[in-house]
Amino acid sequence: MSGIAPREPRVKNRLVVAHKPSDQVVALLTFGAVALCFPAFFGGDSYTMSIATEAVIYALITVTLNLLIGFGGQISLGQAGLVAVGGYAGALIGAHLGGFPFPLEVLAAGLATAVVGFFLGLPTGRLRGHYLAIATLGFGLIVPQVATNWSSLTGARDGLIVNAPQIGSITFGGPVSLYYATLAVAAVAVAALLAILQSSSGRAFAAVRDSEHAAAAMGVNVWRTKVTLFTTSAFFAGVAGDLFVHLEGIVSPDSFPFSLSLFFLAAVVVGGLASIWGSIAGGILLTIVGAKTSGSGGLEPVIIGGTVVLLLLLSPGGLAELPRRLLSGIRGLSLRELSLGRRRISFRGSIRKVRNRA
Amino acid sequence: MHAFGQYVIGGLPFGGIYALAALGLVLIFKTTGVVNFAFGAMATASTLILWSVLQHGGLPFAVAWIVAMAAAMGIGALCEMTLLRRVERSPVLIQIVLTLGLLLVIEGVAGTIWGYAPKAVPRVLTGSPLSVARLLITPNDLFIVGLTVALGLALFAILERTRAGLAMRAIAADRGVAKLMGVRTRRYVTAAWAIGVAISGVAAILVAPTVGLDPSMMDEIGVFAFAAAILGGFGSLAGAVIGGFVIGIGSNLIAAYISTNLQLTLIFAFIIALLYVRPQGLFGVEAVSRQ
Repeated sequence: MSGIAPREPRVKNRLVVAHKPSDQVVALLTFGAVALCFPAFFGGDSYTMSIATEAVIYALITVTLNLLIGFGGQISLGQAGLVAVGGYAGALIGAHLGGFPFPLEVLAAGLATAVVGFFLGLPTGRLRGHYLAIATLGFGLIVPQVATNWSSLTGARDGLIVNAPQIGSITFGGPVSLYYATLAVAAVAVAALLAILQSSSGRAFAAVRDSEHAAAAMGVNVWRTKVTLFTTSAFFAGVAGDLFVHLEGIVSPDSFPFSLSLFFLAAVVVGGLASIWGSIAGGILLTIVGAKTSGSGGLEPVIIGGTVVLLLLLSPGGLAELPRRLLSGIRGLSLRELSLGRRRISFRGSIRKVRNRA
Repeated sequence: MHAFGQYVIGGLPFGGIYALAALGLVLIFKTTGVVNFAFGAMATASTLILWSVLQHGGLPFAVAWIVAMAAAMGIGALCEMTLLRRVERSPVLIQIVLTLGLLLVIEGVAGTIWGYAPKAVPRVLTGSPLSVARLLITPNDLFIVGLTVALGLALFAILERTRAGLAMRAIAADRGVAKLMGVRTRRYVTAAWAIGVAISGVAAILVAPTVGLDPSMMDEIGVFAFAAAILGGFGSLAGAVIGGFVIGIGSNLIAAYISTNLQLTLIFAFIIALLYVRPQGLFGVEAVSRQ
């Protein structure tokens, strides 16, 4: 069987893509320049700006989900549930504490969601694979249902009105100022995530992902690492949730369907596992796909689902692998590559390489 | 006490539907180790085909049912042969995401073809409720329960008493060894997918008259079926059937005594708590690590 086949170069087999530092600088400059200049070209169009803001938020959520899946090896089908918790937390703070400064509100929403993420992470020490997928799927469905029933707090189906973010007397009411406020928070969040991934926690996440037994043997507390992972991911998902409800102007249970969780999962796959920049690109790309196909019924799920299926079969590294594939020339698209059936996708990497990842 | 009994009876038909859906899931999982997250969409697609046959063909219900079953088997076999086969040795994560991608594609295609407006599918049996010891049950509900138990037993008999079943169990135990022993593993894996999806299709056809047929009809049913499968240990046919009925009756009791909107929440809270205490489910034998 496959044991006899010659070892293929690692780069092709890897699901996890390692970026060189120079790639990172290019990615940072590209995303940064496009994001900062975007309103200069489209600032007059409030619809375009709201899509752009949504793209920033979805990119951040995709990154938080990729932290779980790509960097931590823990699947979640309920990320929209965490986003919802953050959204409600932010909305409630805004509703009950008028004039609460926006940065603190974002932090508080993140912290509230982190608490939920901590409890969601507790059973993960014993759950993996399909069980974890189904448990998180259940979580994602429970949050809107609880929000529907807890009407005294959440306003049930009517939801809560969310005011524009403000710091002191400055209000980020217009589409462009809201975009920049969102972008600033998202940028800080991504920077913080990158820092976490470079730290010992980030290496512990990868170690647990690659082999729980090996990680334990190296002195990593597997369970604590997983709980930390879920808590961290939840914190940033909560931050994104607060940004999300400010964009929507309202938070209601219907804003967080299961399909939203699937959307983020698809964005992670499209962007490539364990690639922050890939996730940002994947989140933005799928937001554009969603905006272009909205109102066309079945087209959006077909495009998104079809892309996911094809990418998984043809380029498991997602978009993040694309530049490398293009650079490596025709070989990257050879017929041999396409026959995935005989090929093992490896989900392993070495701890040493984590430093270059992200 | 009489009311309680009636609530239990009232939970039986949905219990049967969850049990059937879970049976399809468990059969595929047992033989291939893949949890088919797209099963709801596949089952709904075959029910939509049944609806089309009824609408345009003017054919009897039984014929439409057979066409739908054939379609379900075709969908299952096709997906296995073209897609799932390619990831059979991939990480669980890839398999899960692939079936979720399929879920989106099938639901989207179904929505494009049939639209999102709910459609009416007739019940199998009509007629006024029967009364047994002052408890009422409609003939259709009785049929659902009977069909569930019959299909469960038939599947059990096939797996435990026939050569094909032996082959499937051998594949479940160790595919490589089964292959070396001369089992045509490909054929049986494809068959497991075909049969598994067809059984889920039965669940979809039975539930359609109650909930209204639309492309995302099985989304919520599917979640309860996952809960049933987990409760039953995810590898046990009997567990799936019992899990289905427990979930069906349990959610009816929650609706009756607590709230109609908290069924999913309470059941999943229970499932997560159960998994925490007993990761292998109620009827699972042991937690097997595939690592």
